[in-house]
Amino acid sequence: MNLSKILKNGFLVIVASLVLTACATQKKIGQTQGDVYTGTDSVEYLASGVKDRVFFATNETVLTTASRETLRKQAAWLRKNSKITIVLEGHADERGTREYNLAIGERRANSAKDYLMTYGISSDRISVLSYGKERPVDSGSSPLAWSKNRRSVSVKAN
Amino acid sequence: MLFRYLFILLILLPLKAFALIEVDITRGNLNPLPVAVSPLSIDEKSKSNFKKILKKEDLGSEISAIVENNLRQSGLFNPLNKNAFLQKPDIANLKPRFEDWNLIKAQALITGKVTFVDEKLRVEFRLWDVLAGKEMMALAFTTVPSNWRRVGHIITDKVYERLTGENGYFDTRIIYVSEEGSKTNRIKKLAIMDQDGFNNKYLTLGNELVLTPRFSPTNQMVTYLSYFRNLPRVYLLDIETGMQEVVGDFPGMTFAPRFSPDGKKIIMSFAKDGNSDIYTMDLENRIVERITNHPSIDTSPSYSPNGKYITFNSDRSGYQQIYVMNSSGKNVKRISFGNGIYGTPVWSPRGDLIAFTKLHKGKFYIGVMRTDGTGERLLTENYYQEAPSWSPNGRVLIFYRETKTNSKGEGFSAKLWSIDLTGYNEKMVNTETDASDPSWSSLLTN
Amino acid sequence: MNRNITISFGLHALLVIITAMSLPFLAKKPIDLPPIVSVELIQISDKTNIPFAPKAKKIIEKVKEKEKKKKIVSEQAPPKMVKKEKQDAIPLPDEKIEKIKEIKEEKQNPEKVETEIKQVSEFEKKDLFDPNSIAALIDKSKVETALTREKTDKITQDQDKNIDFGGLSLSEEDALKAQIFGCWSIPLGLPYNENLLVRIKLQLKPDGSIMRSEILDHARMNKPGQGFYKVLAESALRAIKLCQPLRVPTTGYERWKELQLNFDAREMLEG
Repeated sequence: MNLSKILKNGFLVIVASLVLTACATQKKIGQTQGDVYTGTDSVEYLASGVKDRVFFATNETVLTTASRETLRKQAAWLRKNSKITIVLEGHADERGTREYNLAIGERRANSAKDYLMTYGISSDRISVLSYGKERPVDSGSSPLAWSKNRRSVSVKAN
Repeated sequence: MLFRYLFILLILLPLKAFALIEVDITRGNLNPLPVAVSPLSIDEKSKSNFKKILKKEDLGSEISAIVENNLRQSGLFNPLNKNAFLQKPDIANLKPRFEDWNLIKAQALITGKVTFVDEKLRVEFRLWDVLAGKEMMALAFTTVPSNWRRVGHIITDKVYERLTGENGYFDTRIIYVSEEGSKTNRIKKLAIMDQDGFNNKYLTLGNELVLTPRFSPTNQMVTYLSYFRNLPRVYLLDIETGMQEVVGDFPGMTFAPRFSPDGKKIIMSFAKDGNSDIYTMDLENRIVERITNHPSIDTSPSYSPNGKYITFNSDRSGYQQIYVMNSSGKNVKRISFGNGIYGTPVWSPRGDLIAFTKLHKGKFYIGVMRTDGTGERLLTENYYQEAPSWSPNGRVLIFYRETKTNSKGEGFSAKLWSIDLTGYNEKMVNTETDASDPSWSSLLTN
Repeated sequence: MNRNITISFGLHALLVIITAMSLPFLAKKPIDLPPIVSVELIQISDKTNIPFAPKAKKIIEKVKEKEKKKKIVSEQAPPKMVKKEKQDAIPLPDEKIEKIKEIKEEKQNPEKVETEIKQVSEFEKKDLFDPNSIAALIDKSKVETALTREKTDKITQDQDKNIDFGGLSLSEEDALKAQIFGCWSIPLGLPYNENLLVRIKLQLKPDGSIMRSEILDHARMNKPGQGFYKVLAESALRAIKLCQPLRVPTTGYERWKELQLNFDAREMLEG
């Protein structure tokens, strides 16, 4: 009698907690924080755990805390693989004029480059290329799509 | 008693002194002027000659059709239906019966004659004031038969000038970027066409990304941005020979190029270490001159037609705004102060206005303002549009628009549009592919 | 014992139900933040007002609405596709267009040379007086007299020179103005900031048709740099021609047989 009671209660508790945890996993997909994309959709990896890109807010070229963390990991990976050179590709969303977007893409890529350099990566290993709004990764017309396009991507050059 | 008579006289006298009545007419209508464009008369021999060379059945009608279309597209004229014309083209050209033309409510009449002479195309045309019953203009010129479309455009320019007091803009070309493919995989090529959409030709193959082409003042060269070998740089292209050459030897991205009004320099932005400044390069001696030196982004430079000033886009105040400075770079003054973000400033060929793109509360506007920043007028609003370019008479703006995509990322399109300075006659410019970054040439005839 | 189990089960079930009901709140869609742009409120209409006179604006708006329905699109015959592999050099027209020259004077156009100088003369040539129509008008006028008789002793607003009894009444003036507004197609190419006044003196017949017209500043028509003035003057002349017979009062011919119309395009062009 006691055993079956325990089992029944235990089973109910497990069901309840499963139900609770199931809700919890839906939260993190496709999010922005303060207009900066924080999701993982479209993000690729240079190495295990090393994301290849950082994101920016509208009209901004400053690095967020999350961006700096990503870049620190990139720097560490680059120090380990000292022969690798990269191209930092800067991009902008489509909600701006074309020429200014080229300039802002260049500035974003340089923000990332400057940060990498403070972690000891020589500027010889990093070149910068801006695509402005010409190479969106998400063709949608929504703030979420635009946030994914405002990025600086580190691409292996060799 | 005498007094009374005098008094009456005094009162009556003024009655006789009628002064000239003046009536002030301060308003009229803005209706397009009804004009009759008679097909140009052509003799049988010339007709068959041109048919052989150009494969056109009736060159006289073909040329008048160009004039008619141009006038209609301008929004200022209403070409009347040819089926209502009573007089035949050859007679109308010699002596129009104005009552006939009056009957169909034409206020102006265009007639002419086309002949094949010495292997060349000779055109004479006349513009008549139907109401006054007199000839307003008569011109003749000769050219090679393959220029027959330009003949129609030149006639339109002359007629337009005579009737509006404005220079025309019909014998011109437009250079633009042709776009194809999905939004994430766009193929872009430089393309050029007549202002009415005919004679479209591609100038590059689409192997590398090309952007923002602009004509030289003589319309022989184009400057643009190319990502050849993944290095974004400003290039020059000779339209006739197809030869391309990079402008200068810059150690970083150059972009946003334009010619100076005398055609001797290229002005552009050069980006280095996160900063974009404006530079010029003399095409003859290759001397590079730095014009702005500021940690902000300075781009989209455009000269005033007299070459003395430059308007440009800078975010030195925090957001994109429009500035004007001397061509030496001194005396920088901000001129945009409205609410929103301003970009792509471009100086009118008339020197009186600067056109721009504005973004405010998620909407894009094409507008104009005086060169001191006053008198801002927004002409059109859209989900996305930018990059106005002026017609050579400073009356019409051409720009481009993009559409939204649906939830699947489909349905994207980019097209050229034009609008009159008054905000009137907004219409799409037809291109065979999607299009963006248009730039208008000056008049091909000088 | 069973009672305890029941209570326990019920409480657990309640927990599950509460959890299930609160799920919709947790599974909210991510908030789409709008892009950050400056947020000050402005009246867009203040900025977009085309500087035309109010009436012109209404006309433009009406025509604009018509345009929206029409969808004007440029015509274009599809050009041939370029199939070559190599880059195609674009040939400019081989020869530039040769001289554009004025047509030499031909016999039937003796007026062409004189057009520039004598504007008034054309109007004298044409026979505008049609006796038959006068008779018709006289009959009509009897009917209209009752309707159009107004106070004739009012001073009209724009005529300081006029003495009480010599001017047109407000409504007479308005009627004439309204008529000419409809006939005058203003060329839009005129400069915004120049003097755009054309004064035309008319001598009228009793039926409102024009006997003689004279442009008061017609020397200006040929001044260099004033080409637009000629265009403007011609448009005013066309308006008058189009509007014949003018809407003149039915009585008091002596008053208005000489009339001066001051065409001023400034209000329309700069608002």
